[in-house]
Formats: sequence, structure tokens, C-alpha cells
Amino acid sequence: MKFTFDWLRDYVAVNGCDAARITDILTMLGLEVDSAAALYEDLAPLRTGRIVAASKHPDADNLQVCQVKIGAETHTIVCGAPNARKGLAVVVAMPGTTLPGDMKIKKAKVRGIESAGMICSERELGLSHDHSGIMELPDGTEDGQVFIDALGMRDTLFEVELTPNRPDCAAVIGIARELAGKLAEPLCLPAVAMPDNPGSASFSVTIEAPELCPRYSARLVKGVKIAPSPWWLRKRLMAIGLRPINNVVDITNYVMMEYGQPLHAFDFDTLAGSRIIVRAPGDVEKHFVTLDGSERALDDQTLLICDGEKPVALAGVMGGLNSEVTAKTVNVLLESACFAPVSIRKTARLLGLVSDASWRFERGVDVENTITVLNRAAALLVEVAGGSQEAGWIDVYPGKKQPLAIPISAARTSRLIGVRFSSEEIISLLTGIGIVCKKIDDDLLHVTPPAFRVDLEREADLVEEVARLYGYDAIPMRQPLAALSYPDQDLAREKRLRAAAIMTSLGYHEAINYSFTTSKFGDMLSLAADDARRRAVRLRNPLSEEMDCLRSMLLPGLLENIRRNISYQNTSIKLFEIGKVFVPKGQDVQPDEKVVLSGVLTGNSFSGAPPLHFPERAVDIFDARGAVEFLLEEMGIPCGADVIRVIHPFDDGIDSFAEPETALIFFAGGAVLGKAGMIKPAVLRAFGVKQDVAFFTLDFDALCALPVKKAQFAPLPAYPAVTRDIALLVADRVAAGDMVEAVRASGEKLIESVALFDIFRGGSLPPGTKSVALSITYRSASKTLTEKNINKTHEKIVRLLTDTFGGSLRAA
Amino acid sequence: MEEELQRLVAAARTEVENIGGPAQLEEFRVRYLGRKGLLSGILRGLGALPAADKPRLGAKANEAKAAIEELYAAKNAALGPGQANFRPVADLSLPGRRPAHGRQHPISRVMAETCAIFAAMGFDIAEGPNVELDYYNFEALNIPAHHPARDMHDTFYISDSILLRTHTSPMQARIMERQEPPLRVVAPGQVYRCDSDITHTPMFHQVEGFLVDEDVSFSDLKGVLTLFVNKMFGSGVGLRFRPSFFPFTEPSAEVDIACVICGGKGCRVCKQTGWLEILGSGLIDPAVFEKVGYDPKRYSGFAFGLGVERVAMLTYGIDDIRLFYENDLRFLSQF
Repeated sequence: MKFTFDWLRDYVAVNGCDAARITDILTMLGLEVDSAAALYEDLAPLRTGRIVAASKHPDADNLQVCQVKIGAETHTIVCGAPNARKGLAVVVAMPGTTLPGDMKIKKAKVRGIESAGMICSERELGLSHDHSGIMELPDGTEDGQVFIDALGMRDTLFEVELTPNRPDCAAVIGIARELAGKLAEPLCLPAVAMPDNPGSASFSVTIEAPELCPRYSARLVKGVKIAPSPWWLRKRLMAIGLRPINNVVDITNYVMMEYGQPLHAFDFDTLAGSRIIVRAPGDVEKHFVTLDGSERALDDQTLLICDGEKPVALAGVMGGLNSEVTAKTVNVLLESACFAPVSIRKTARLLGLVSDASWRFERGVDVENTITVLNRAAALLVEVAGGSQEAGWIDVYPGKKQPLAIPISAARTSRLIGVRFSSEEIISLLTGIGIVCKKIDDDLLHVTPPAFRVDLEREADLVEEVARLYGYDAIPMRQPLAALSYPDQDLAREKRLRAAAIMTSLGYHEAINYSFTTSKFGDMLSLAADDARRRAVRLRNPLSEEMDCLRSMLLPGLLENIRRNISYQNTSIKLFEIGKVFVPKGQDVQPDEKVVLSGVLTGNSFSGAPPLHFPERAVDIFDARGAVEFLLEEMGIPCGADVIRVIHPFDDGIDSFAEPETALIFFAGGAVLGKAGMIKPAVLRAFGVKQDVAFFTLDFDALCALPVKKAQFAPLPAYPAVTRDIALLVADRVAAGDMVEAVRASGEKLIESVALFDIFRGGSLPPGTKSVALSITYRSASKTLTEKNINKTHEKIVRLLTDTFGGSLRAA
Repeated sequence: MEEELQRLVAAARTEVENIGGPAQLEEFRVRYLGRKGLLSGILRGLGALPAADKPRLGAKANEAKAAIEELYAAKNAALGPGQANFRPVADLSLPGRRPAHGRQHPISRVMAETCAIFAAMGFDIAEGPNVELDYYNFEALNIPAHHPARDMHDTFYISDSILLRTHTSPMQARIMERQEPPLRVVAPGQVYRCDSDITHTPMFHQVEGFLVDEDVSFSDLKGVLTLFVNKMFGSGVGLRFRPSFFPFTEPSAEVDIACVICGGKGCRVCKQTGWLEILGSGLIDPAVFEKVGYDPKRYSGFAFGLGVERVAMLTYGIDDIRLFYENDLRFLSQF
């Protein structure tokens, strides 16, 4: 809602409040002022002038050479406007000034004649689109003055962001009423002549859909002369960004901005049968051309204003081209009506046509005020456009309601707000903005809100009014009294936070991607046609193709993050995300929302650490595996061989986007907990990535459900350990991890731990073989081990390994 | 080979006697015990021996190794603690051996801080579905179909009755449906609106909170939210409660803090107003209580919703909301 300070002061005395103070008062009343800006500051350097002589340019037919008097000086200005003539008061931009649109005015020779500035059109001033000629100032305008002062344009434009509950403030009077209440000043409404006895009217109004049109008032003004509006009217409309059209249309707009009641003007002579019928479309009425020239499809719910034969307007939304006021219009029928909000909203949505009128009708207009507004507009029309009002008017009001009497208790109001109010104090606050209160007893009031306050229906609505008018800043603060408690915290959330802390400690940055993804992700990842993850939840109204469904995996987002980072020269990346994925469960059912943890890594594994101490090493599958092992262990999930399984290329369960040679699967119990691997280059290309990327992904819900190993103290060993190394020459295809596992699984009591410490190929070793070196630590809980004690077990282990893996001992 | 090992141990024993400083000791260690040292040289011969001899000679080799290690350790101890490993001319300007560390996303950080402040005040933390029923997102919150308040929410729809929640407020209805007062809950999470520009992303985060009990007033709302703002932004920050409108609260209030950028004088960030909106709040509308079966005559309560991105932008001085979802390392590593 836009209005100017000058306009506001028509209805309320502001007592020296400046724009900043008004801004503050309105904002704290719940009418949030978005901006309060001085108008036309950019036009301040311009001066008024008078053309004292005008002659044809000797070398150009379309130009005139004007002598323009600006105060004491007279300048020669070449002008191309057809309306430049002797005696005209004009606006002059002198060299050195800049006009709206960054147009700089310079001294220039025009066809050989020096021109000292420019005489401006309204378009050049940014006032309107009119560029048919220079702006003509009112006759008495003195030359040499500051233009915006001479025309009374110095003003402040306020812009208030209205909440949907306050349509009454989509009107300058509505804003003024709030201000008047707060300043304890009277609200000065325009004087509107209201004849007591309406005479007969030369037209009729019928409402066939009374539930959609509670009231329809109309009045005829005859013999108007269509012309541009006078300056005062155009000035106010232009200031709030409404384009002046002609005097009739401008008045309907002006009065709508003034009272909040939308008006429509019909060319009366186009209305067949001099009738107005408010009804639903007939069977053959499928289309209608609105006054903007667009053909609109109608549905059977669209409320129409019709004459005796045809529709002439979409009720409350927009008038029709067939009955529009034109330059030839002589007789004008003014409509001031009230329509059901939901009906107007549906039509406006259906047609994608939100107008100033529909916006107000959707939220509710003052059904009691249609006549006042009608008479105000008719009187202005006669004043501005001539003509005469027909004595009678028509007012059909099928929707008249009994005024409400809402009970409100002073005690309850006090308890809810936290301030002790007497009923007198409540009455005083509410009557200030036109609400009628009746005291029933010391506690109880019956309150009748005015019809323009469509938002006041219940006690709670009135409690809000009391709090608002009293002032939120005056309400004291209090800490609620409540029993001490220590609520159980959501375990899954705590684990997420814990996992995030572990991942960051491993050098991974946390990513958050949109829950949306492109439905093309399945192809980009080359998922199998029957892969369940391809069935993503589709959005009905996506913002773009890139975000047309909900993600069923985190990986596509993370791969896009990698592409983006590489494009900004960050080629070493470790990212993780813990987020929801969505699994469809069928039409009209909420999908399952599962939490997944995924990580991606590429480039130098030690990026971000001092390169002096951490020489560059490209990430590989063991970085991914290590991250998962560390995470699981830190989350209290021991990851032995039963959790992590090496997958062979021919195994099922390898994702189609992962390199089969490096695929790992993590298990919990019998179920898959997660996967890790390297991503296939072809898939990376689809994401625009040209370097190796490792990934891991874990079903976080499943992880949270796993039993957590509780730390259990083991007595510290009393006897020393002895470490023996074994190097075995085995076939290259033997999995060294299996050898470690075999030692662990041997069940030998003296073996405390076993570790792989070297794998060596080539050199003097036969092709197709490798040397695997294990370090075994022996310890007894009851004595210091001797060589003899160890030898027995050690030999057993060597035999076990050579028997199982077919190798031979290289050294001890 | 056995003799070779004995000779080696003897030589080491002689040599270690003459060592005077840590540098010499280190040379000794490398020469005898290093990977390319004398002992390793002998051990490399093991592979070529007959299998029958291997275990015995292996044991001998281990003995020799242990003996030399012991000589080294004894000398090291004699030279003083730690000296052997300490380079006498260490360049202390070199960086520490510090592994790389990742960072928590600023949104996660602000959400966690917000929840922690309310948890310390005894609020429970709960989460709900991102894909929500129209009923919980709108109907239960006093926003019927065709209500103009729906204009405040540009909604992504999955079907007629299923949508992406446009705010975290559905959690009010979900929790009140299954729990009786007194209630103190905060509900963090993602929310969605179909809107995308420099100040809007189609997904963003909110923290919802509400408190329901007998005799809860607007004063309590002011008290709790002031306490929160003081903890989050510092106790000196200017604060105002401004009337507003939400269909599910009445009275409703926006909470503004004095602009942290300009200190309230007016700047681009606060649109010259000197104030920044960070919270929507209000007393829970009786219509919401009726939907969940609470008696609005007995219970009252307040609710609030915090825009997490907004707080993060103010806290860290971030001027483009889209940065949060690009996951650019140059951005993520700053927090």
C-alpha cells in the first residue's frame, strides 16, 4: 500500500510528526513501513520557465527556436515538441542537470543553433509515458521557480507492507484512522453529500447470485466530458505509481485508494437494456475480453456482471473491453459493490489476474460503505468531468448482516497480555479506532467491530487489538514458571551431530544441498533401469528442470559440488553431507524420509595440511574406507570383518556408478549398511568432473539403530610383549587382509595383535607373486614369554598361513 | 650367517662406546638398524637359505637385532632424554605437523546453537517430516483453503493433499496432538518455498518453538525471546516486538533486532530502517488449540519461528543467501 504524506494529512492532523515519526508509529501499530522516501528529489534542480518567443528553426522543419525566460535570465532553447508555443509555462533542464534514466543535459548546437538546455516532456521527467509534447504547466505558474515546489510536488512516499488481515488499511483513510487513534486526533473524512431520498434511476440492478454478491450499489452520471485529469489528481496518482488514464478512470482509482472500495465505471450507453445483472456464466459464455484486450477463458464459477444481453465485466477482477469508458463516453455508470472473497480469489487465481480491485475483494471490503464511496466518486466526477448526477441511485443489499456483539473479558485479556487492564481502559483503546464497546459488568464487554474490520470476529482478535493499541513495547517481560525437567533428547539428532563432528575432524567439510534434484540424475549415474532409486518423488510445480524431484540419494548433489569447486580451482576436496532422502510410497501418501551420510573425496588427500610434513598423495579407496572405519569405531560400532566386506567384481550389490575393482560393502548384521568405492570415469564425465573421485555412503538410520559397544575396562598387561615378523611369498591374487584375518581367527591365546606392515612386488621376486610381511605381537597374561613359548605358536601360524594361502616363508 | 651376525653385534658394541652426541648416535642407528642398514643386509640373505635352517637362523637374527637395539637404547638414555631425536639446529619457523580439519556448515552451526540455548531453558527438541500433509501445514494452523494468507507461502506441491512444508509450524499441531501440556519444544528443520533470488532460496531452515501451559502470557513470550536474543546476539543488542499477522497466532509479533551491520543508523542491509527482522512469534491462536483438542479456556501458549539463514547471514556478515547451498570450499572453510 502506497500513499503520500500530503494525502494522509487530508484526513488527520499529524501535529508536527515528521515522516520518521509517522514511520515509527505505523510500524509499531503493525502497519510495517517498508520505506518512506522523499519524492522527486531527482527533479529538484529543474526550474520553471516561460516561452516568451518561438520561431521556426531556419534549417529544420520540425524544430522551433524558443526564447525561454527563467527568472531574470532568458535562454535560447531548441525544441522539437509540436506544442511549444509562446506564453506556455514549461519545465526546463539546464545544462549540467541529470534527468531520470541518467540522461545528462549539455549545451549543444542543434542544426547550427546553440541550445542552452532542454524543455522537458512528462516522460523525460519520469512522471508518465507521455512524450507527445512538452509538459504544459498550469497557466499561472511563475517562471524561475524550483519546479517541484511550484507544482507542490515535494512530498514523502510511504510504502506499507500490509498483512492479509488488514484490508481496511489498503486505503489512505484506513491508515489515517489508525494514526488518528494513536495520536488521539479526530479522523476527518471527506464531506460527501448524501441526499436523503433517492429518486428513481433510469436503470435496474438484479443480483442472481446473492451468496457471491452481498451488495451492489450503482449510480449514473450523465454528460461527462472525458479529458485528462486536473493536475492535483494526476499528481497524487503518479506519486503512488498509478498511471493517469482519463478523468473518469482516474477518479475511480483515486476513490479506491482513498476508501479501499474498488469502483468500476461503465460506459452506460453500451449497456443493453440499461440493466445490470450479477450472475454466473450461461452455457455459451466461455470467453470474455477484458479491458486490457486479453481474451479470458471463463469457468462456471466465475461471477459476471452482465447487461441485458452479455457479460460486461468479471465481477471484482476486471471490466470488459465492450463497456469500457472511452474518449467518446458521455454517460457513466459507477459501480460500488461487494463480492464474496473466495469467489474473487478463485477467479483471480484461475485467470492469473491479480488487480488492485481483486486484491481488496479477496481480503474483504467494507460492505456498509458502498453508498458513501459511490456518492464521493459521483460528486468528484461532476466536479472534474462536468455532467450531472442522476437524482436516484440503486442499492441492492441481500447480504445485510446483524452487527456482531463479541464478548470480551477484561480479566482474560489482562491474563493473556500480562498487563492488568480495567474494562474502561479497554473501551478507551478500542473506541479510538472506531470500535463500539458496551459495558455489561465490571469484567465483561460486548464489542461491535465496524464492518470494515473484517478480521475481528472473536475475543482473541480483540485481545490482539488491545495489546497492539496499548503498545507491545509497553508490555513487561516475564520468565514463565515451569517445573524443572530434563527432556530426553532425540538420539538420532545427537548421533548426527556426533557424526558431523567426527567427519570434520577427519578433514571433511560439511555440505548442505537442496532436497531437490533433477530427474536426470538416474541417467547421469547410469543407474540400472529397475534401480529403485530412480523412482523419485516428483514435484508438481518445480522451479526448474534441474530441481524437479526430491532426491533419493545424496551423491548427485555432492558430485555437482565437486564440479563447482574444481571450476574455482579447488581440486582437492573432501565433503560430507548428512541429509534426508525421499522414498516414494505411492500416490497421495507421504514418502519415507531416510537419513543418509555420504562423503566424496578427490585430489590430494592431505590438502589443507602443511605440505612440508604431508607430501601430496592422491586419494584412493583406502581414504574412503578409513573414513568409514574411523567413523564407525568412533560411533561405538566395532568394524571387524563382519562389517566390512570386500566385494569382488562379479558380486551383486555393486552400484552401477562404482568401479567394480574397488567396491566395498559395509554390513550390519545381515543388512547392507553402506558402500564405498571409486566412481567410474564415464559417470564423472556426466557430472563434468575429470579427476578420480572416491565416495562412501551410509544408511544413517540403520547406523543409529545399531547397538553401541560400551567401553569396558580390561586390566593392563603385567608381562611384556614380544613381536615377531613374518614375510610370506604368496601369489599376487591372495588378499593380504584375509591373511591377517586368518591369524586373528586362529584363536591362539598368545597372539595379542597382528598387523600388516609391508607388501612388496617385483625386484627379485618371481612374477605373479608378492611378499606380504606381518608383524605379530605375542603376550601372556600370566608370565613373561620365552622364545620357546612363542616358537610353538609362531610355527603354527606360519604353517596355517602357508597351508591356507599356498605361500612360502621368506624371512622371519 | 650366524657368524656374520655375531661379528655385527661385536662391531656395534665397540662402536657405540665411542659415540659422543646425538648426531653420531643417529648415524649409528641408521647404519646398523636402518632399512638399508647392515643388519637388513644380512637378513636379505635369509631367503636363499634351505628351508630347514630358516627358523633357527631367523631366531638368531631376531636376537642380534634385539642386542643392537638395546645398545642403541642404552646409549640414547645415557645421552639424556629425547636428545637423540632432537635435531640440534631445528628450524622452529616451520609449521607444526597439523592435519587438515573440516568445518561444520554455518547453517548447522547456527541451528545447533539455537537449539542448545532453548535446550538449556528446558525445551525438548523434536523433528518432523519435510514432506507434509496440507492438513498440518495449513488447515491445522487456521489457514483454510482459499485463505489469502496462503499467498504468504509459495508452496511446492506433490499432490493435492501433500506438499513440502513451507514452515516448521506443522510441528506445533503434530506434537500437541499427541502430548498434553505443559509443553516446551523446539523443532529445527528444512522448509521450502518456490522462490529463488538473491534473498530467497527454494529450501531454507527454520527453528520452530512453542510453550504451552496454564496462564502463559505475552509477557512470557517477550521474556523468553529476549533471553534467547541476548544469548544469541549478545546482551546489549536493541530489540523490539512489532505487531504483525500470522493465522496461527494472536496476538502476533515480529521480533526485530537493531541492525548489527550499521548499529541502527540505517544501511542497505536493514533497508534504512535500522532494524532486522529475525523471528515471527505470537500467542497460539485458540483455533489451533481447538484443532488439537486442547481447551483454549484452560491453556494458553506462545510460538515462534526463527529463520536460520537470516541469523547466519547476520552473524557472519554473509550477503548472498545462495552461498549456503553452493558448498564452495572457499565459503565453507571460513566458519
